[in-house]
Amino acid sequence: MYKVILIDDEPLARQLLKSLLEPYKQVEVVAECGDGFEGFKAIQELNPDLIFLDIQMPRLNGFEMLELLDNPPAVIFTTAFDEYALKAFESHAVDYLLKPIVKDRFEKAMQKWLQQATNKDRPQVSALLENNIYEGYQHRIVVKDNSLIRIIPAQDIYYIEANDDYIKIVTKDGSYLKKSTLSHLEQTLDPQQFVRVHRSYLVPVTQLMRIEPYEKESHIALLHCGAKVTVSKSGMAKLKTLLGW
Amino acid sequence: MVLLLMLIVLAMHIFILHNILHFEWGTAAKDAVTSCLILGIAAWGIILLIRAYPTTAVITLYGLFMALVISTATAITEYETLKLFVATDNVNYQLWLKQTVAVRFLFIWIFNSWVSTVSALRKNITNLDARFQQQTDASILLKEAELFKLRQQLQPHFLYNSLNSINALITIAPGKAQEMIGKLSDFLRSSVKRESEDTLPVSEELEYIQSYLAIESVRFGDRLRVRFEKEYTDDAVIPPFLLQPIVENAIKFGLYGSTGVVTITVHIVLEGAMLMITITNPYDADTQPPRGTGFGLEGVQRRLYLLYARADLLETKKDGKYFTTILKIPQHHV
Repeated sequence: MYKVILIDDEPLARQLLKSLLEPYKQVEVVAECGDGFEGFKAIQELNPDLIFLDIQMPRLNGFEMLELLDNPPAVIFTTAFDEYALKAFESHAVDYLLKPIVKDRFEKAMQKWLQQATNKDRPQVSALLENNIYEGYQHRIVVKDNSLIRIIPAQDIYYIEANDDYIKIVTKDGSYLKKSTLSHLEQTLDPQQFVRVHRSYLVPVTQLMRIEPYEKESHIALLHCGAKVTVSKSGMAKLKTLLGW
Repeated sequence: MVLLLMLIVLAMHIFILHNILHFEWGTAAKDAVTSCLILGIAAWGIILLIRAYPTTAVITLYGLFMALVISTATAITEYETLKLFVATDNVNYQLWLKQTVAVRFLFIWIFNSWVSTVSALRKNITNLDARFQQQTDASILLKEAELFKLRQQLQPHFLYNSLNSINALITIAPGKAQEMIGKLSDFLRSSVKRESEDTLPVSEELEYIQSYLAIESVRFGDRLRVRFEKEYTDDAVIPPFLLQPIVENAIKFGLYGSTGVVTITVHIVLEGAMLMITITNPYDADTQPPRGTGFGLEGVQRRLYLLYARADLLETKKDGKYFTTILKIPQHHV
Protein backbone atom coordinates (compact mmCIF):
# COMPACT_ATOMS: atom_id res chain seq x y z
CA MET A 1 0.00 0.00 0.00
CA TYR A 2 1.41 3.38 -1.01
CA LYS A 3 0.85 6.38 1.26
CA VAL A 4 -0.19 9.61 -0.40
CA ILE A 5 -0.60 13.12 1.07
CA LEU A 6 -2.59 15.89 -0.65
CA ILE A 7 -1.38 19.45 -0.01
CA ASP A 8 -3.55 22.24 -1.43
CA ASP A 9 -5.26 25.18 0.22
CA GLU A 10 -8.51 24.76 -1.70
CA PRO A 11 -10.80 22.07 -0.24
CA LEU A 12 -12.39 21.44 -3.63
CA ALA A 13 -9.03 20.91 -5.28
CA ARG A 14 -8.20 18.22 -2.69
CA GLN A 15 -11.64 16.72 -3.17
CA LEU A 16 -11.00 16.42 -6.89
CA LEU A 17 -7.68 14.66 -6.35
CA LYS A 18 -9.31 12.25 -3.89
CA SER A 19 -12.00 11.28 -6.34
CA LEU A 20 -9.44 10.85 -9.11
CA LEU A 21 -7.39 8.59 -6.81
CA GLU A 22 -10.34 6.37 -5.89
CA PRO A 23 -9.79 3.76 -8.66
CA TYR A 24 -6.20 3.22 -7.49
CA LYS A 25 -6.62 0.50 -4.88
CA GLN A 26 -2.90 0.26 -4.13
CA VAL A 27 -2.92 3.89 -2.95
CA GLU A 28 -4.19 5.35 0.30
CA VAL A 29 -4.64 9.06 1.08
CA VAL A 30 -3.21 9.30 4.60
CA ALA A 31 -3.51 13.06 5.09
CA GLU A 32 -4.91 16.26 3.58
CA CYS A 33 -3.20 19.55 4.33
CA GLY A 34 -4.20 23.15 3.67
CA ASP A 35 -0.79 24.80 3.82
CA GLY A 36 2.96 24.21 3.77
CA PHE A 37 3.30 24.04 7.56
CA GLU A 38 0.73 21.29 7.91
CA GLY A 39 2.22 19.57 4.90
CA PHE A 40 5.70 19.64 6.42
CA LYS A 41 4.46 18.17 9.70
CA ALA A 42 2.40 15.47 8.01
CA ILE A 43 5.28 14.42 5.76
CA GLN A 44 7.64 14.09 8.72
CA GLU A 45 5.13 12.08 10.74
CA LEU A 46 3.72 9.84 8.04
CA ASN A 47 6.63 9.48 5.62
CA PRO A 48 4.50 9.22 2.46
CA ASP A 49 5.55 7.67 -0.86
CA LEU A 50 3.98 10.42 -2.94
CA ILE A 51 2.66 13.93 -2.39
CA PHE A 52 0.42 16.08 -4.56
CA LEU A 53 1.64 19.61 -3.97
CA ASP A 54 0.17 22.98 -4.83
CA ILE A 55 2.65 25.86 -5.08
CA GLN A 56 0.73 28.93 -3.92
CA MET A 57 -0.41 28.21 -0.39
CA PRO A 58 -0.89 30.02 2.92
CA ARG A 59 2.03 30.66 5.28
CA LEU A 60 4.58 28.42 3.57
CA ASN A 61 4.46 27.81 -0.18
CA GLY A 62 5.13 24.51 -1.90
CA PHE A 63 8.74 25.20 -2.83
CA GLU A 64 9.61 26.50 0.63
CA MET A 65 8.10 23.41 2.19
CA LEU A 66 10.20 21.16 -0.05
CA GLU A 67 13.34 23.11 0.82
CA LEU A 68 12.89 22.20 4.47
CA LEU A 69 12.61 18.46 3.93
CA ASP A 70 15.82 16.49 4.30
CA ASN A 71 14.52 13.60 2.30
CA PRO A 72 11.58 14.73 0.20
CA PRO A 73 9.13 12.13 -1.16
CA ALA A 74 8.14 11.86 -4.81
CA VAL A 75 6.19 14.95 -5.87
CA ILE A 76 3.46 15.63 -8.40
CA PHE A 77 2.88 19.38 -8.61
CA THR A 78 -0.67 20.58 -9.07
CA THR A 79 -0.93 24.23 -9.94
CA ALA A 80 -2.47 26.91 -12.10
CA PHE A 81 1.02 28.24 -12.86
CA ASP A 82 1.65 28.59 -16.53
CA GLU A 83 3.23 25.77 -18.40
CA TYR A 84 6.36 27.73 -19.19
CA ALA A 85 7.28 28.06 -15.52
CA LEU A 86 6.60 24.38 -14.93
CA LYS A 87 8.82 23.11 -17.74
CA ALA A 88 11.76 24.11 -15.56
CA PHE A 89 11.11 21.39 -13.06
CA GLU A 90 9.71 18.72 -15.34
CA SER A 91 12.84 16.60 -15.02
CA HIS A 92 12.92 16.63 -11.24
CA ALA A 93 9.37 16.09 -10.14
CA VAL A 94 7.52 12.92 -11.09
CA ASP A 95 5.19 15.12 -13.08
CA TYR A 96 3.18 18.29 -12.94
CA LEU A 97 -0.56 18.70 -13.39
CA LEU A 98 -1.99 21.95 -14.63
CA LYS A 99 -5.28 23.06 -13.13
CA PRO A 100 -7.96 22.39 -14.17
CA ILE A 101 -6.84 18.80 -13.74
CA VAL A 102 -8.41 16.40 -16.21
CA LYS A 103 -8.71 12.65 -15.85
CA ASP A 104 -6.55 11.57 -18.81
CA ARG A 105 -3.65 13.71 -17.78
CA PHE A 106 -3.99 12.60 -14.17
CA GLU A 107 -3.86 8.94 -15.17
CA LYS A 108 -0.69 9.52 -17.18
CA ALA A 109 0.99 11.13 -14.19
CA MET A 110 -0.03 8.22 -11.95
CA GLN A 111 1.27 5.69 -14.44
CA LYS A 112 4.57 7.52 -14.59
CA TRP A 113 4.84 7.50 -10.83
CA LEU A 114 3.83 3.84 -10.41
CA GLN A 115 6.61 2.93 -12.81
CA GLN A 116 9.13 5.03 -10.95
CA ALA A 117 8.01 3.76 -7.55
CA THR A 118 9.41 0.30 -8.33
CA ASN A 119 12.55 1.82 -9.77
CA LYS A 120 15.15 2.85 -7.19
CA ASP A 121 16.87 5.70 -9.02
CA ARG A 122 13.94 8.03 -9.47
CA PRO A 123 14.61 11.74 -10.03
CA GLN A 124 15.35 13.69 -6.86
CA VAL A 125 13.12 16.63 -6.20
CA SER A 126 15.81 18.24 -4.05
CA ALA A 127 17.92 18.83 -7.15
CA LEU A 128 15.10 20.92 -8.55
CA LEU A 129 15.49 23.47 -5.79
CA GLU A 130 19.00 24.27 -6.98
CA ASN A 131 17.49 25.87 -10.06
CA ASN A 132 15.85 29.21 -9.92
CA ILE A 133 12.25 28.10 -9.99
CA TYR A 134 10.69 31.16 -8.45
CA GLU A 135 8.79 33.78 -10.31
CA GLY A 136 10.56 37.03 -9.42
CA TYR A 137 12.87 37.38 -6.43
CA GLN A 138 12.29 36.05 -2.94
CA HIS A 139 11.95 38.40 0.00
CA ARG A 140 12.34 35.80 2.69
CA ILE A 141 14.21 32.62 3.56
CA VAL A 142 12.66 29.68 5.35
CA VAL A 143 14.79 27.68 7.78
CA LYS A 144 14.34 24.86 10.23
CA ASP A 145 15.27 25.83 13.77
CA ASN A 146 15.24 22.59 15.75
CA SER A 147 11.70 21.40 15.12
CA LEU A 148 10.39 24.92 14.46
CA ILE A 149 10.00 26.51 11.05
CA ARG A 150 11.31 30.04 10.95
CA ILE A 151 10.66 32.57 8.23
CA ILE A 152 13.40 35.16 7.92
CA PRO A 153 12.46 38.36 6.07
CA ALA A 154 15.27 39.47 3.73
CA GLN A 155 15.62 42.81 5.50
CA ASP A 156 16.54 41.05 8.79
CA ILE A 157 19.59 39.38 7.28
CA TYR A 158 23.02 40.69 8.33
CA TYR A 159 24.97 38.45 5.98
CA ILE A 160 25.09 34.88 4.69
CA GLU A 161 28.17 32.70 4.88
CA ALA A 162 29.00 29.49 3.02
CA ASN A 163 29.83 26.60 5.35
CA ASP A 164 30.58 23.32 3.53
CA ASP A 165 27.22 21.88 2.42
CA TYR A 166 25.41 24.40 4.55
CA ILE A 167 24.90 28.10 4.60
CA LYS A 168 24.92 30.16 7.77
CA ILE A 169 22.35 32.96 7.79
CA VAL A 170 23.28 35.62 10.35
CA THR A 171 20.33 37.80 11.42
CA LYS A 172 19.46 40.17 14.21
CA ASP A 173 17.87 37.28 16.13
CA GLY A 174 20.84 34.94 15.82
CA SER A 175 22.22 32.70 13.13
CA TYR A 176 20.66 29.71 11.37
CA LEU A 177 22.04 26.86 9.34
CA LYS A 178 20.36 25.62 6.21
CA LYS A 179 21.23 22.95 3.71
CA SER A 180 21.62 25.05 0.58
CA THR A 181 24.25 26.86 -1.45
CA LEU A 182 25.22 30.49 -1.78
CA SER A 183 24.79 30.37 -5.56
CA HIS A 184 21.20 29.23 -5.10
CA LEU A 185 20.47 32.12 -2.74
CA GLU A 186 22.34 34.52 -4.97
CA GLN A 187 19.89 33.58 -7.71
CA THR A 188 16.71 33.75 -5.67
CA LEU A 189 17.37 36.93 -3.68
CA ASP A 190 17.11 40.36 -5.29
CA PRO A 191 20.53 41.15 -6.86
CA GLN A 192 19.90 44.85 -6.25
CA GLN A 193 19.99 44.10 -2.53
CA PHE A 194 22.29 41.13 -2.06
CA VAL A 195 25.81 41.03 -3.44
CA ARG A 196 28.16 38.06 -3.55
CA VAL A 197 31.22 39.93 -2.36
CA HIS A 198 33.27 36.78 -1.95
CA ARG A 199 33.11 33.05 -2.73
CA SER A 200 31.90 32.54 0.85
CA TYR A 201 29.85 35.67 1.51
CA LEU A 202 26.55 37.11 0.37
CA VAL A 203 25.92 40.55 1.88
CA PRO A 204 22.95 42.95 1.78
CA VAL A 205 24.05 46.31 0.37
CA THR A 206 22.32 48.14 3.22
CA GLN A 207 24.61 46.39 5.72
CA LEU A 208 27.78 47.85 4.25
CA MET A 209 29.34 50.52 6.44
CA ARG A 210 32.93 50.85 5.29
CA ILE A 211 35.29 49.07 2.91
CA GLU A 212 39.01 49.05 3.58
CA PRO A 213 41.92 47.72 1.51
CA TYR A 214 43.34 44.46 2.83
CA GLU A 215 46.28 42.54 1.50
CA LYS A 216 46.96 42.54 -2.20
CA GLU A 217 43.85 42.84 -4.40
CA SER A 218 41.30 42.18 -1.66
CA HIS A 219 39.29 44.34 0.72
CA ILE A 220 37.56 44.03 4.05
CA ALA A 221 33.98 45.22 4.46
CA LEU A 222 32.84 46.44 7.83
CA LEU A 223 29.13 45.78 8.36
CA HIS A 224 26.66 47.71 10.50
CA CYS A 225 26.25 44.64 12.71
CA GLY A 226 29.95 44.81 13.58
CA ALA A 227 31.07 41.82 11.53
CA LYS A 228 33.92 41.96 9.03
CA VAL A 229 33.79 40.06 5.75
CA THR A 230 36.38 39.62 3.06
CA VAL A 231 35.67 41.20 -0.32
CA SER A 232 37.38 39.58 -3.30
CA LYS A 233 38.57 41.40 -6.39
CA SER A 234 35.51 40.38 -8.39
CA GLY A 235 33.25 41.14 -5.42
CA MET A 236 34.67 44.66 -5.33
CA ALA A 237 33.96 45.05 -9.05
CA LYS A 238 30.33 43.96 -8.49
CA LEU A 239 29.92 46.47 -5.68
CA LYS A 240 31.36 49.20 -7.84
CA THR A 241 28.91 48.62 -10.68
CA LEU A 242 25.94 48.21 -8.34
CA LEU A 243 26.64 51.28 -6.25
CA GLY A 244 27.98 53.33 -9.14
CA TRP A 245 31.33 54.29 -7.60
CA MET B 1 5.04 89.56 -49.17
CA VAL B 2 8.75 89.14 -49.90
CA LEU B 3 8.21 90.61 -53.36
CA LEU B 4 6.45 93.66 -51.92
CA LEU B 5 9.26 94.18 -49.45
CA MET B 6 11.79 93.96 -52.25
CA LEU B 7 9.86 96.53 -54.29
CA ILE B 8 9.74 98.95 -51.38
CA VAL B 9 13.48 98.57 -50.77
CA LEU B 10 14.05 99.02 -54.49
CA ALA B 11 11.96 102.20 -54.58
CA MET B 12 13.68 103.64 -51.51
CA HIS B 13 17.07 102.81 -53.00
CA ILE B 14 16.23 104.67 -56.22
CA PHE B 15 14.73 107.59 -54.32
CA ILE B 16 17.79 108.04 -52.08
CA LEU B 17 20.21 107.79 -55.00
CA HIS B 18 18.26 110.27 -57.16
CA ASN B 19 16.94 112.82 -54.71
CA ILE B 20 19.62 112.91 -52.01
CA LEU B 21 22.76 111.94 -53.87
CA HIS B 22 21.57 113.54 -57.14
CA PHE B 23 22.28 110.74 -59.56
CA GLU B 24 20.31 110.42 -62.77
CA TRP B 25 17.14 108.34 -62.72
CA GLY B 26 18.73 105.75 -65.01
CA THR B 27 21.88 105.33 -62.96
CA ALA B 28 19.90 105.16 -59.72
CA ALA B 29 17.53 102.51 -61.10
CA LYS B 30 20.33 100.37 -62.52
CA ASP B 31 22.26 100.48 -59.23
CA ALA B 32 19.15 99.63 -57.22
CA VAL B 33 18.02 96.74 -59.40
CA THR B 34 21.50 95.22 -59.55
CA SER B 35 22.11 95.49 -55.80
CA CYS B 36 18.71 94.11 -54.87
CA LEU B 37 18.90 91.25 -57.35
CA ILE B 38 22.35 90.16 -56.22
CA LEU B 39 21.42 90.48 -52.55
CA GLY B 40 18.22 88.50 -53.16
CA ILE B 41 20.13 85.69 -54.83
CA ALA B 42 22.63 85.65 -51.94
CA ALA B 43 19.89 85.46 -49.30
CA TRP B 44 18.16 82.70 -51.20
CA GLY B 45 21.43 80.81 -51.38
CA ILE B 46 21.86 81.11 -47.64
CA ILE B 47 18.34 79.80 -46.99
CA LEU B 48 19.01 76.82 -49.26
CA LEU B 49 22.32 76.12 -47.53
CA ILE B 50 20.67 76.15 -44.11
CA ARG B 51 17.88 73.86 -45.26
CA ALA B 52 20.39 71.41 -46.66
CA TYR B 53 22.40 71.37 -43.42
CA PRO B 54 21.82 67.87 -42.09
CA THR B 55 21.48 68.47 -38.33
CA THR B 56 20.52 71.24 -35.98
CA ALA B 57 23.76 71.04 -34.05
CA VAL B 58 25.62 74.40 -34.13
CA ILE B 59 23.38 75.48 -37.01
CA THR B 60 23.36 79.15 -35.93
CA LEU B 61 27.13 79.28 -35.92
CA TYR B 62 27.26 77.54 -39.27
CA GLY B 63 24.72 80.04 -40.64
CA LEU B 64 26.68 83.05 -39.46
CA PHE B 65 29.86 81.69 -40.97
CA MET B 66 28.14 81.02 -44.31
CA ALA B 67 26.66 84.54 -44.17
CA LEU B 68 30.15 86.04 -43.83
CA VAL B 69 31.54 84.02 -46.74
CA ILE B 70 28.58 84.72 -49.00
CA SER B 71 28.49 88.41 -48.03
CA THR B 72 32.11 88.83 -49.10
CA ALA B 73 31.36 87.14 -52.42
CA THR B 74 28.19 89.20 -52.84
CA ALA B 75 29.95 92.48 -52.19
CA ILE B 76 32.69 91.68 -54.70
CA THR B 77 30.15 90.56 -57.33
CA GLU B 78 28.03 93.64 -56.78
CA TYR B 79 31.01 95.96 -57.06
CA GLU B 80 32.31 94.35 -60.23
CA THR B 81 28.88 94.22 -61.85
CA LEU B 82 28.12 97.83 -61.09
CA LYS B 83 31.54 98.94 -62.35
CA LEU B 84 31.05 97.02 -65.58
CA PHE B 85 27.44 97.94 -66.45
CA VAL B 86 26.53 101.11 -64.60
CA ALA B 87 29.70 103.10 -64.20
CA THR B 88 30.84 102.88 -67.82
CA ASP B 89 31.23 106.60 -68.50
CA ASN B 90 30.03 108.18 -65.29
CA VAL B 91 33.16 109.31 -63.44
CA ASN B 92 31.17 110.74 -60.60
CA TYR B 93 29.40 107.43 -60.00
CA GLN B 94 32.65 105.49 -60.33
CA LEU B 95 34.19 107.53 -57.55
CA TRP B 96 31.16 107.18 -55.35
CA LEU B 97 31.04 103.42 -55.94
CA LYS B 98 34.60 103.03 -54.76
CA GLN B 99 33.89 105.03 -51.60
CA THR B 100 30.81 103.01 -50.68
CA VAL B 101 32.25 99.49 -51.06
CA ALA B 102 32.79 99.13 -47.31
CA VAL B 103 29.30 100.41 -46.48
CA ARG B 104 27.75 98.12 -49.08
CA PHE B 105 29.62 95.12 -47.68
CA LEU B 106 28.56 95.97 -44.14
CA PHE B 107 24.93 96.29 -45.18
CA ILE B 108 25.01 93.01 -47.13
CA TRP B 109 26.70 91.26 -44.25
CA ILE B 110 24.15 92.41 -41.65
CA PHE B 111 21.27 91.48 -43.92
CA ASN B 112 22.65 88.03 -44.71
CA SER B 113 23.40 87.32 -41.05
CA TRP B 114 19.85 88.20 -40.18
CA VAL B 115 18.47 85.90 -42.90
CA SER B 116 20.70 83.05 -41.79
CA THR B 117 19.83 83.40 -38.10
CA VAL B 118 16.11 83.50 -38.76
CA SER B 119 16.14 80.47 -41.03
CA ALA B 120 18.40 78.55 -38.64
CA LEU B 121 16.00 79.21 -35.79
CA ARG B 122 13.06 78.18 -37.92
CA LYS B 123 14.72 74.94 -38.80
CA ASN B 124 15.45 74.32 -35.12
CA ILE B 125 11.82 74.88 -34.15
CA THR B 126 10.45 72.64 -36.90
CA ASN B 127 12.84 69.96 -35.83
CA LEU B 128 11.84 70.23 -32.18
CA ASP B 129 8.17 70.12 -33.13
CA ALA B 130 8.68 66.94 -35.12
CA ARG B 131 10.59 65.30 -32.33
CA PHE B 132 7.99 66.28 -29.76
CA GLN B 133 5.21 64.89 -31.93
CA GLN B 134 7.09 61.66 -32.39
CA GLN B 135 7.64 61.29 -28.67
CA THR B 136 3.99 61.94 -27.90
CA ASP B 137 2.93 59.35 -30.46
CA ALA B 138 5.36 56.81 -29.07
CA SER B 139 4.26 57.31 -25.50
CA ILE B 140 0.57 56.99 -26.44
CA LEU B 141 1.28 53.70 -28.20
CA LEU B 142 3.34 52.45 -25.31
CA LYS B 143 0.64 53.42 -22.86
CA GLU B 144 -2.04 51.54 -24.74
CA ALA B 145 0.11 48.47 -25.13
CA GLU B 146 0.94 48.47 -21.48
CA LEU B 147 -2.65 48.95 -20.36
CA PHE B 148 -3.67 46.06 -22.57
CA LYS B 149 -0.98 43.83 -21.16
CA LEU B 150 -1.84 44.73 -17.58
CA ARG B 151 -5.46 43.86 -18.19
CA GLN B 152 -4.47 40.56 -19.72
CA GLN B 153 -2.50 39.61 -16.64
CA LEU B 154 -5.55 39.73 -14.43
CA GLN B 155 -7.28 36.58 -15.47
CA PRO B 156 -5.54 33.23 -16.09
CA HIS B 157 -4.68 32.01 -12.57
CA PHE B 158 -8.08 32.79 -11.29
CA LEU B 159 -9.78 31.22 -14.27
CA TYR B 160 -7.84 27.95 -14.10
CA ASN B 161 -8.37 27.58 -10.37
CA SER B 162 -12.09 28.20 -10.80
CA LEU B 163 -12.33 25.60 -13.54
CA ASN B 164 -10.58 23.17 -11.25
CA SER B 165 -13.17 23.80 -8.53
CA ILE B 166 -15.97 23.23 -11.04
CA ASN B 167 -14.25 20.03 -12.07
CA ALA B 168 -14.42 18.84 -8.45
CA LEU B 169 -18.03 19.94 -7.99
CA ILE B 170 -19.26 18.07 -11.05
CA THR B 171 -19.04 14.73 -9.25
CA ILE B 172 -19.79 15.80 -5.66
CA ALA B 173 -22.46 18.45 -6.23
CA PRO B 174 -23.61 18.86 -9.83
CA GLY B 175 -26.10 21.60 -8.87
CA LYS B 176 -23.35 23.69 -7.34
CA ALA B 177 -21.16 23.09 -10.38
CA GLN B 178 -23.86 24.56 -12.60
CA GLU B 179 -24.22 27.54 -10.29
CA MET B 180 -20.49 28.14 -10.37
CA ILE B 181 -20.40 27.98 -14.18
CA GLY B 182 -23.12 30.61 -14.22
CA LYS B 183 -21.16 32.87 -11.88
CA LEU B 184 -17.96 32.42 -13.79
CA SER B 185 -19.68 33.20 -17.11
CA ASP B 186 -21.21 36.37 -15.62
CA PHE B 187 -17.81 37.43 -14.44
CA LEU B 188 -16.09 36.75 -17.75
CA ARG B 189 -18.87 38.39 -19.74
CA SER B 190 -18.60 41.61 -17.80
CA SER B 191 -14.79 41.46 -18.04
CA VAL B 192 -14.99 41.36 -21.81
CA LYS B 193 -17.59 44.11 -21.92
CA ARG B 194 -15.50 46.36 -19.75
CA GLU B 195 -12.39 46.11 -21.93
CA SER B 196 -13.57 49.07 -23.97
CA GLU B 197 -14.68 51.34 -21.11
CA ASP B 198 -12.56 54.19 -19.76
CA THR B 199 -14.54 54.66 -16.58
CA LEU B 200 -17.57 53.00 -15.02
CA PRO B 201 -20.06 53.94 -12.32
CA VAL B 202 -18.75 52.64 -9.00
CA SER B 203 -21.94 50.64 -8.45
CA GLU B 204 -21.22 48.70 -11.65
CA GLU B 205 -17.65 48.01 -10.59
CA LEU B 206 -18.94 46.74 -7.24
CA GLU B 207 -21.31 44.33 -8.95
CA TYR B 208 -18.34 43.01 -10.84
CA ILE B 209 -16.36 42.62 -7.62
CA GLN B 210 -19.35 40.80 -6.08
CA SER B 211 -19.45 38.28 -8.91
CA TYR B 212 -15.72 37.80 -8.50
CA LEU B 213 -16.13 37.27 -4.75
CA ALA B 214 -18.98 34.81 -5.29
CA ILE B 215 -16.55 32.58 -7.19
CA GLU B 216 -13.73 33.03 -4.70
CA SER B 217 -15.98 32.06 -1.82
CA VAL B 218 -16.84 28.80 -3.57
CA ARG B 219 -13.13 28.13 -3.96
CA PHE B 220 -12.17 28.95 -0.39
CA GLY B 221 -15.40 27.90 1.33
CA ASP B 222 -16.27 29.46 4.68
CA ARG B 223 -12.81 30.90 5.16
CA LEU B 224 -13.54 34.06 3.18
CA ARG B 225 -15.83 36.87 4.28
CA VAL B 226 -16.10 40.31 2.71
CA ARG B 227 -17.83 43.36 4.21
CA PHE B 228 -18.75 46.47 2.19
CA GLU B 229 -19.21 49.96 3.64
CA LYS B 230 -20.46 52.48 1.08
CA GLU B 231 -20.91 56.27 1.20
CA TYR B 232 -20.96 57.64 -2.33
CA THR B 233 -23.29 59.12 -4.91
CA ASP B 234 -24.48 57.41 -8.07
CA ASP B 235 -22.31 59.51 -10.36
CA ALA B 236 -19.01 58.42 -8.79
CA VAL B 237 -16.84 56.68 -11.37
CA ILE B 238 -13.82 54.39 -11.46
CA PRO B 239 -11.66 53.02 -14.29
CA PRO B 240 -12.21 49.28 -14.75
CA PHE B 241 -9.80 46.60 -13.51
CA LEU B 242 -8.27 48.65 -10.70
CA LEU B 243 -10.27 47.48 -7.72
CA GLN B 244 -10.34 43.80 -8.60
CA PRO B 245 -6.55 43.19 -8.37
CA ILE B 246 -6.49 45.00 -5.02
CA VAL B 247 -9.30 42.82 -3.66
CA GLU B 248 -7.54 39.78 -5.10
CA ASN B 249 -4.35 40.86 -3.39
CA ALA B 250 -6.19 41.35 -0.08
CA ILE B 251 -7.65 37.85 -0.38
CA LYS B 252 -4.24 36.38 -1.15
CA PHE B 253 -2.57 38.23 1.73
CA GLY B 254 -5.41 37.41 4.07
CA LEU B 255 -5.96 33.78 3.18
CA TYR B 256 -2.30 32.96 2.64
CA GLY B 257 -1.39 34.51 5.97
CA SER B 258 -3.62 32.32 8.08
CA THR B 259 -5.67 29.17 7.98
CA GLY B 260 -8.72 30.50 9.85
CA VAL B 261 -11.68 32.63 8.76
CA VAL B 262 -10.61 35.85 7.08
CA THR B 263 -12.73 39.02 6.88
CA ILE B 264 -11.89 41.65 4.28
CA THR B 265 -13.41 45.13 4.52
CA VAL B 266 -14.01 47.40 1.54
CA HIS B 267 -14.82 50.97 2.56
CA ILE B 268 -15.83 53.42 -0.17
CA VAL B 269 -16.34 57.13 0.45
CA LEU B 270 -16.58 60.16 -1.83
CA GLU B 271 -14.52 63.02 -0.38
CA GLY B 272 -14.97 66.10 -2.52
CA ALA B 273 -13.53 65.35 -5.93
CA MET B 274 -11.78 62.19 -4.75
CA LEU B 275 -13.23 58.71 -4.41
CA MET B 276 -11.44 56.97 -1.55
CA ILE B 277 -11.52 53.19 -1.43
CA THR B 278 -9.97 51.52 1.60
CA ILE B 279 -9.43 47.78 1.58
CA THR B 280 -8.37 46.12 4.83
CA ASN B 281 -7.29 42.54 5.33
CA PRO B 282 -5.83 40.72 8.30
CA TYR B 283 -2.19 39.91 7.86
CA ASP B 284 0.44 38.00 9.74
CA ALA B 285 3.79 39.78 9.78
CA ASP B 286 5.66 36.55 10.43
CA THR B 287 4.28 34.63 7.52
CA GLN B 288 3.77 37.36 4.94
CA PRO B 289 3.39 35.78 1.53
CA PRO B 290 6.50 35.81 -0.61
CA ARG B 291 6.13 38.60 -3.07
CA GLY B 292 6.60 38.25 -6.79
CA THR B 293 3.89 35.65 -7.00
CA GLY B 294 1.27 36.92 -9.38
CA PHE B 295 0.00 40.25 -10.43
CA GLY B 296 -0.17 42.32 -7.25
CA LEU B 297 -0.22 46.00 -6.61
CA GLU B 298 2.63 47.15 -8.85
CA GLY B 299 0.38 46.71 -11.86
CA VAL B 300 -2.32 48.86 -10.27
CA GLN B 301 0.23 51.52 -9.41
CA ARG B 302 1.51 51.53 -12.97
CA ARG B 303 -1.98 51.79 -14.42
CA LEU B 304 -2.88 54.67 -12.13
CA TYR B 305 0.23 56.47 -13.26
CA LEU B 306 -0.59 55.90 -16.93
CA LEU B 307 -4.16 57.06 -16.44
CA TYR B 308 -3.65 60.09 -14.20
CA ALA B 309 0.10 60.80 -14.37
CA ARG B 310 0.18 60.68 -10.57
CA ALA B 311 2.13 58.37 -8.31
CA ASP B 312 0.28 59.17 -5.08
CA LEU B 313 -3.05 57.47 -5.75
CA LEU B 314 -2.22 54.13 -4.17
CA GLU B 315 -1.09 53.75 -0.59
CA THR B 316 -0.46 50.73 1.58
CA LYS B 317 -0.16 50.58 5.34
CA LYS B 318 0.82 47.80 7.70
CA ASP B 319 -0.73 48.34 11.05
CA GLY B 320 -0.23 45.53 13.55
CA LYS B 321 -2.41 42.71 12.38
CA TYR B 322 -4.00 44.57 9.45
CA PHE B 323 -2.85 45.46 5.98
CA THR B 324 -4.61 48.46 4.45
CA THR B 325 -4.65 49.53 0.82
CA ILE B 326 -6.03 52.97 -0.06
CA LEU B 327 -7.00 53.68 -3.65
CA LYS B 328 -7.87 57.24 -4.68
CA ILE B 329 -9.71 58.01 -7.89
CA PRO B 330 -9.91 61.66 -9.01
CA GLN B 331 -13.50 62.32 -10.11
CA HIS B 332 -13.21 65.30 -12.43
CA HIS B 333 -10.34 64.15 -14.51
CA VAL B 334 -10.33 65.09 -18.18
